[in-house]
Amino acid sequence: MHVQLLKLALGLYSVGLLHSVLTVLRKKQTLFKPAVVATLIGFACHVASIIARVYEQRTFPLSQPYESFSFFAALAVLASLIVYWRYKITSLGVFAFPAIFVMTFVAILQAYNAQDSVPELLRSRWIYIHTPLIILGYVAFFVAFSAAVLYLVQERELKRKRVFNRLPSLEICDDLAYRSLALGFPLMTLGILSGALYAQQVSLSWMSDPKTLLAFLTWLIYLLLIHYRLIAGWRGKKAAYLAIAGFVGVLVTFSFSGGFHANFHP
Amino acid sequence: MELALIGVSHKTAPVEVRERLAFSSDKIRAALATLLERTHAAEAMILSTCNRVEIVAQGPDAQLVQDFICEYHQIPAEAISKHVYSYKNAEAIRHLFRVTASLDSMMLGEPQILGQVKEAYRLASEAGTIGSSLSPLLDRAFAVAKRVRSETGISQSAVSISYAAVELARKIFGDLAGKTVMIIGASKMGELAAKHLKRNGVGSVLVTNRTFERAVEIAKIFEGAAVPFEHFTDHMEHADIVISSTGAPHFIITKSLAEQVIRNRRNKPVFFIDIAVPRDVDPLVNDIDNAFVYDIDDLQQVIDANMRERMKEAGRAEEIVDREVQAFCTRMQSREVAPTIVLLRETVDRVRREEIERYRKLLRDMPAEQQQATLAAIDQVTQSLMNKILHHPITQMKEMNSDPNGSEFVETVRKIFNIKLP
Repeated sequence: MHVQLLKLALGLYSVGLLHSVLTVLRKKQTLFKPAVVATLIGFACHVASIIARVYEQRTFPLSQPYESFSFFAALAVLASLIVYWRYKITSLGVFAFPAIFVMTFVAILQAYNAQDSVPELLRSRWIYIHTPLIILGYVAFFVAFSAAVLYLVQERELKRKRVFNRLPSLEICDDLAYRSLALGFPLMTLGILSGALYAQQVSLSWMSDPKTLLAFLTWLIYLLLIHYRLIAGWRGKKAAYLAIAGFVGVLVTFSFSGGFHANFHP
Repeated sequence: MELALIGVSHKTAPVEVRERLAFSSDKIRAALATLLERTHAAEAMILSTCNRVEIVAQGPDAQLVQDFICEYHQIPAEAISKHVYSYKNAEAIRHLFRVTASLDSMMLGEPQILGQVKEAYRLASEAGTIGSSLSPLLDRAFAVAKRVRSETGISQSAVSISYAAVELARKIFGDLAGKTVMIIGASKMGELAAKHLKRNGVGSVLVTNRTFERAVEIAKIFEGAAVPFEHFTDHMEHADIVISSTGAPHFIITKSLAEQVIRNRRNKPVFFIDIAVPRDVDPLVNDIDNAFVYDIDDLQQVIDANMRERMKEAGRAEEIVDREVQAFCTRMQSREVAPTIVLLRETVDRVRREEIERYRKLLRDMPAEQQQATLAAIDQVTQSLMNKILHHPITQMKEMNSDPNGSEFVETVRKIFNIKLP
């Protein structure tokens, strides 16, 4: 049931993917409104899918890669919709729609490996603090990354004196990147802390875990970015490059599976 | 009844001709009255702008309209004949729609023409020369212009230096509210750009000029502050937008100065608009992060590109106009076709009845029963004959309903059968 609903959501998200592909190919916004509508309906299916899984498991589903990916994707949809509603930046969809599609697709692939029992190690309340915090942080960083890319594209066009696009203004891109950074950083900080505390509790040596180290390195990049923004007044291009570097770190961390996260960490 | 449009425009006549044909707005009422009298038109409107002089009229003789123009302006007919264009019915409607939608303007998509047509319409209404034909036509023309404006990008992007500056500033700053603009040097173009920026939300204005009094004067216009030219660099860090147009022979904003300014602003972006020739802002400033320099050529390039974009959009606008002309003709004709069909039937039927009546007298001597039967037979035969004969003309008229030349066709039918619409 929950997988079927998720597949339905994926089908609806594919309209957004089509929008992005056509928009890039034709260099002209195509199918944006249908994509937003389809994504809204898809999101409803997605939420229904998660609720169905809650009923099945009798607990909030976050213990397996399938569930985390699905949750991640749902939050990404929600964040995109909120940003669209607040900022009216339609060009952000070019990044958001494919990302949502890919994440949902990966979740469905993972669904076939899903087990119905919750692993021993994860039967803890910590998991409901650690995972959502990290995922929320990642979603915020994804928004910051998209805004940074838009900034760089628009900045280059302005420097080259070609301004025939519908991209948002530099100030809006920079503002969005900064706000999502300011939101994502504390979330990720708390997420890493809660993970460390939990590891301590079940006496795992998290210091030597490669995934944890990668997460820590990524966190350092963002710390640097926050520092430069606040202290040195960095903005625009330099800040955008660093936000992109940070998100590369997120992707590496996220896709790395090894160490004690191997069996259950997305 | 025929709609006619006669006129000259920047496309057919040089300014020497256009200026001689212009109607000044205070004389248009009187001119319209004379026009109706001379040309037997039922309704008329005169549109007179610096780029065109056009007369739209319902039911005139086109040649008489041309004669009226010559007579009114006391110009020999030969002097204007090769510049004048004359359209009828569907073509006249199309031309009017295109003019109103700014597709025929010198500056494609410029917004003033709509207001000018509205003004012409108002003057004609006051003169009492607008009636049931021109009123719906002009209303539709305004609606079409609005549609073209909102559905195509024909009037969207900036095609003047000062609008291009506003457009670019928006690309950098988004909302211009609360931003500060600094004007260096006193030139008309700089002033105009500042005026547009101010109208689009820019908060405060700083003005500097070698002659301080002039700076004070300009600052007064914008409710801004004047800054002595010797110290303007000290104030530059407050400016988000710098418009420079001095007569200086060398760069007055060098790379090192701009770097210093950006540093003092903690990297907040600055938009340099350099409309001076020779240039005021070192082009190398554009290489600094968060500094954007546009000189007069760059702005012109933006305008050219926008102009090309407008041309592309004009194609889509023409399609809209085509569809609208078609729809309007159909609507107007269906207003004529239905009554024509009814009257046609009535006319033929009346002839038929009269003939039967005449025949009845001839059958006087027949026995009543036989007479009844004969008359019934005649009635049936003539009725079916009438239906057969009228069948084709009526279907044709209904079909021509959606044809742009349908009006003429229906008119011909009315002439043939001597039908007069009430």
